Amino acid sequence: MSGSIVGKYVPFYIRQLTYILTSDVLVMDEYQTEETAFVVEDVSKIIKESVEAAIGGHAYQHNRVNQWTTIVVEQCLSQLSKLGRPFKYIVTCIIMQKNGAGLQTASTCFWDNTSDGSCVVRWENKSMYCIVTVFGLAI
Amino acid sequence: MEGSDTYLIRPSHQYKFKPAVVKECVREIVRERLSGKRFEPEEVQELSRSLAECIKDRVKNAGFDKYKLVVQVVIGEQRGEGVNMSSRCFWDADTDNHAEDLFMNESLFCLAVVFGSYYY
Repeated sequence: MSGSIVGKYVPFYIRQLTYILTSDVLVMDEYQTEETAFVVEDVSKIIKESVEAAIGGHAYQHNRVNQWTTIVVEQCLSQLSKLGRPFKYIVTCIIMQKNGAGLQTASTCFWDNTSDGSCVVRWENKSMYCIVTVFGLAI
Repeated sequence: MEGSDTYLIRPSHQYKFKPAVVKECVREIVRERLSGKRFEPEEVQELSRSLAECIKDRVKNAGFDKYKLVVQVVIGEQRGEGVNMSSRCFWDADTDNHAEDLFMNESLFCLAVVFGSYYY
């Protein structure tokens, strides 16, 4: 009798233990594969989509430019926040009329190179240039 | 950046990013380096980069130790074209801030922006 009881219970106990161990390991893996570095491709895609949607196909209009930069920047920011990553974002957008004039932008940052990053997208059509920069700072 | 395990969620008032102080730093540097300059395409690339570095060093030395800084400098030629620049930030409004300055002369305009983000 005692032999058969031991035979019944010991396997169950071991099975339960292994279940707890494997589920803990699975949770650990999921946590570690979460993005903790700035991914330039994802951000670049978001920027391109936002710019296309806001000003793709439009010609430069002085009275609308203010609205356009606002739309581009807010659209980018809302898409970036939807990614749900632990980052603070800074998005800047410059729209310049095509006139033959020159423009140069430079940026320098004091941050953590392993986790933070930036992405610049240059877009143009027949009448204007649009430069969007996104800086991502890890929390 | 070194993690100095203090876990301070808010900086104390003296270590807070002060836009007025930073704007003054930026203004001085830009006016000193760009007064009387003409827009020269070859020169402007190096100039904007060195301006950005200069501004970043000056702001770092002003004592904002727990802040990550982003400095952006835009130099453009004045030819009557229209330019518009805007920015939005997704950050902690209690601790983070920015400062900007616009400088114009007859042949160029220069916009310098400094964003400061608190590192918890």
